[in-house]
Amino acid sequence: MKPTFRTIHLFSILAVLAVGVFVVAVLSGNITWFSTEPPLEFNPGMDHQFKAIPQSSNSFFANRSSLREPLTGTVARNVDVYTLGQGDIDAAEIENVNPGLPKTEFVAARGQNRFNVFCSPCHNYDGKGESRVAVRGQWAGIPDLTRPETQALSDARIFHIVSAGQNLMPSYADKISTVDRWAIVYYLRMLQGVESMPSTSSSPTAGRASTGRSNLN
Amino acid sequence: MFSRKFDVGFKQAVAGIGAVAGIVFLIGYFGVRNEVLDVGYRPEQPVPFSHKLHAGDLQVSCQYCHGGAEVSAHSPVPTTQTCMNCHTLVKAESPKLKLVRESYETGNPLEWVRIHKVPDYVHFNHSRHIRAQIDCKSCHGPIEQMGVVSQAKPLTMGWCLDCHRKPEDHIVGARPISGIFTGKLHDMKHLKDSTYMYTPIKAQLGTPVALTEPAFGQWTTALPAHQVDGIPHPKVAGLGPENCSACHY
Ligand code: HEC
Ligand code: HEC
Ligand code: HEC
Ligand code: HEC
Ligand code: HEC
Ligand code: HEC
Repeated sequence: MKPTFRTIHLFSILAVLAVGVFVVAVLSGNITWFSTEPPLEFNPGMDHQFKAIPQSSNSFFANRSSLREPLTGTVARNVDVYTLGQGDIDAAEIENVNPGLPKTEFVAARGQNRFNVFCSPCHNYDGKGESRVAVRGQWAGIPDLTRPETQALSDARIFHIVSAGQNLMPSYADKISTVDRWAIVYYLRMLQGVESMPSTSSSPTAGRASTGRSNLN
Repeated sequence: MFSRKFDVGFKQAVAGIGAVAGIVFLIGYFGVRNEVLDVGYRPEQPVPFSHKLHAGDLQVSCQYCHGGAEVSAHSPVPTTQTCMNCHTLVKAESPKLKLVRESYETGNPLEWVRIHKVPDYVHFNHSRHIRAQIDCKSCHGPIEQMGVVSQAKPLTMGWCLDCHRKPEDHIVGARPISGIFTGKLHDMKHLKDSTYMYTPIKAQLGTPVALTEPAFGQWTTALPAHQVDGIPHPKVAGLGPENCSACHY
C-alpha cells in the first residue's frame, strides 16, 4: 500500500513540475532549447527548397557565394554607374549636372535623412566632424564640412567626392542613388548656410501631386 | 473481481501512462512552435560584431549597413567593403577583425550565420513595410541593444496576420536609429544632439510634433504633397494583406 501511494504522488508531482516548467517557458516566450544551434525543425516540408536565395552560401562555386558577380564589362539594368575615378576632378565638373531637383522641403528632408544615415557617422549631424566615430575611433582626419574651403567646392565636386570617395573617405556610389546624392549635396549646402531652409508650407511647384496612401501602387 | 495487487498496479499504470501522454502532448503542442524553437536563436558569428556598439553607442543607422531594406525584398547583411569604410583606419590591427580583412583582400564573402528566415514558400518583402514607416523594432526587437543578435519574434504566419489585421497593436513607428525616411525635415537648431535632431522642424514654428515612436495612426502631420522621381515616397501604413497569394506564390 504505502510505497504505491508514494509512487503515484511522485508521478503527479513530476507531472505538475513539468507542466509548470513548460508554462513558464512558453509564457516567457524567451526560451530556446538550443539557443546557439540552428532551430530544430520537426516538419521541414518545403522550408528549404532547392534554389539559390539571396545571401545563401553555395558550395558549387569557388567563393561559396550563390550570388554571382557580373561579367566584366556588363552593367546591371536600372543602375547608374559612376564611371569617374577619384582623380578625374576636371571631368567631374563637366559631367556631374544636377538633374533639376526642386528645392522643396521634401527634397531637403530626403537629403537630411540620407545625410544622417550615411554621412553623420563620420561627419556628425551638423557636418562639423566631431562625430561618434571620430571621437571613439580616434579618427583625426575628418574635415569640418562647413568650413570655407569646403563651401568653396562646387556642387559637382562635392557630388564627385561622395560618388568616388577621396583619400580615406569611401565611395558611396553603390549605396546611395544618384538622386539621393544630389539631395545630400542640397542638404549639405543648407548645413553650410549657403542654401536657406525651404519654407515648411509645401509649395505646389515641381513634381507629381500625390495623395498620401495610394501613390506607391 | 481483480486481486488487490493487480488493482493498484493497474491504477498506477494508468496514472503513469496518463502523465507521460500529458507531458508528450504538452511538449508537442506548446514546445514544437516557432515561439519556443526559433525565438531566442542566437548563433555565434564568425566575427564578434556587436550591434550594441555600432548601432547603440556609435548611433550608426541600420540602413548604413542594411541599406537594401528600403528598396528591395531583402535587407542584406553588409559586405565587408562596408566594414572597411571605417575599419581601414579604426582598429585596423584588431585581431577580432582578421577575418574581415582577409575577406576584403580575397574578395570571398564572410559567411555570417543566418538568423531570421521564413520558409522558402513564403515571400516577405522589406521595402513595402519600410516605406509604410514600420520600424525594424516591430519585427526584430531592439537590435541596437543586442551584443549578439537573437531572434525576437516568431515569424509565424499567425504573427504576420496578427499585425496585418490589427497593425495599431504591433507597429512601432519609425525611429531615428532605423534611418527610415518619413518625408519630414527635422529641426536644425539642435544638430549636435541626436535626440533633438529628430524633433521635426515644425517645432520651430511653435507646433511641436513628437516623432519618436508614434503609435499607429498617430502621424500628426500629413505626408508631404509632392513626389520626386527616384526618391522613395513614404506612405501611411494601411492594413496588410490577408489573401494567401500575397505571401505564398
Ligand atoms: C567613413 C567615414 C566617412 C563617411 C561615412 C563620410 N565621409 Fe566624407 N570624409 C571622410 C574623410 C576621412 C574625409 C577627408 C578626406 C581627405 O583626407 O581628403 C572626408 C572628406 C569629405 C569631403 C571633402 C571635404 C574637404 O573640404 O575636402 C566632403 C565634401 C565629404 N567628405 C562629404 C561627405 C558626405 C556628403 C558623406 C555622406 C554621403 C560623407 N562625406 C561620408 C570620411 C567620411
Ligand atoms: C555597422 C554595420 C551594422 C549596423 C549599423 C547594423 N547592422 Fe545589423 N547586422 C550587421 C552584420 C555584420 C550582421 C550579421 C552578423 C550578426 O548577425 O551579428 C547583422 C545582422 C542583423 C540581423 C540578423 C540577420 C539575420 O541573419 O537574420 C538583423 C535583424 C539586423 N542586423 C538588424 C539591424 C538593425 C535593426 C539595425 C539598426 C538598429 C542594424 N542591424 C544595424 C551589421 C550592421
Ligand atoms: C561607421 C564606422 C564603422 C563601421 C561601418 C563599422 N565599424 Fe566596427 N567599429 C567602429 C568603431 C568606432 C569601433 C570601436 C573602436 C573602439 O572601441 O575604440 C568599432 C569596433 C569594432 C569591433 C571591435 C574591435 C575590437 O578590437 O574591439 C569589431 C569586431 C567590429 N567593429 C566589427 C565590424 C564589422 C564586422 C563591421 C562591418 C559589418 C563594422 N565593424 C563596421 C566603427 C565602425
Ligand atoms: C514587417 C516586419 C519586418 C520589418 C519592419 C523589418 N524586418 Fe527585417 N526581416 C523580417 C523577416 C520576416 C525576415 C526574414 C526574411 C526571409 O527569410 O526572407 C527579415 C530578415 C532580415 C535580415 C536578414 C537578411 C534578409 O533575408 O533580409 C536583416 C539583416 C533584416 N531583416 C534587417 C532589417 C532592418 C535593418 C529593418 C529596418 C530598416 C528591418 N529588417 C525591418 C521582418 C521585418
Ligand atoms: C508589424 C506589423 C507587420 C508585420 C509583423 C508583418 N506585416 Fe506585412 N504589412 C504590414 C502593413 C501595415 C502592410 C501594408 C503596407 C502598406 O500599406 O503599404 C503590410 C504589407 C505586406 C505585404 C504587401 C502586400 C502587397 O500588396 O504588396 C506583404 C506581401 C506582407 N505584408 C507580407 C508579410 C509577411 C510574409 C509577414 C510575416 C513574415 C509580414 N508581412 C509581417 C504590417 C506587418
Ligand atoms: C501575411 C503573409 C501570409 C498570408 C496572407 C498567408 N500566409 Fe501561410 N504562411 C506565412 C508564413 C510566414 C508561414 C511560415 C510559418 C512558419 O514558419 O511556421 C506560412 C505557412 C503556411 C503553411 C505551412 C504551415 C506549416 O507549418 O507547414 C500553410 C499550409 C499556409 N501557410 C497556408 C496559407 C493559406 C491557406 C493562406 C490563405 C488563407 C495563407 N497561408 C496566407 C505567411 C502567410
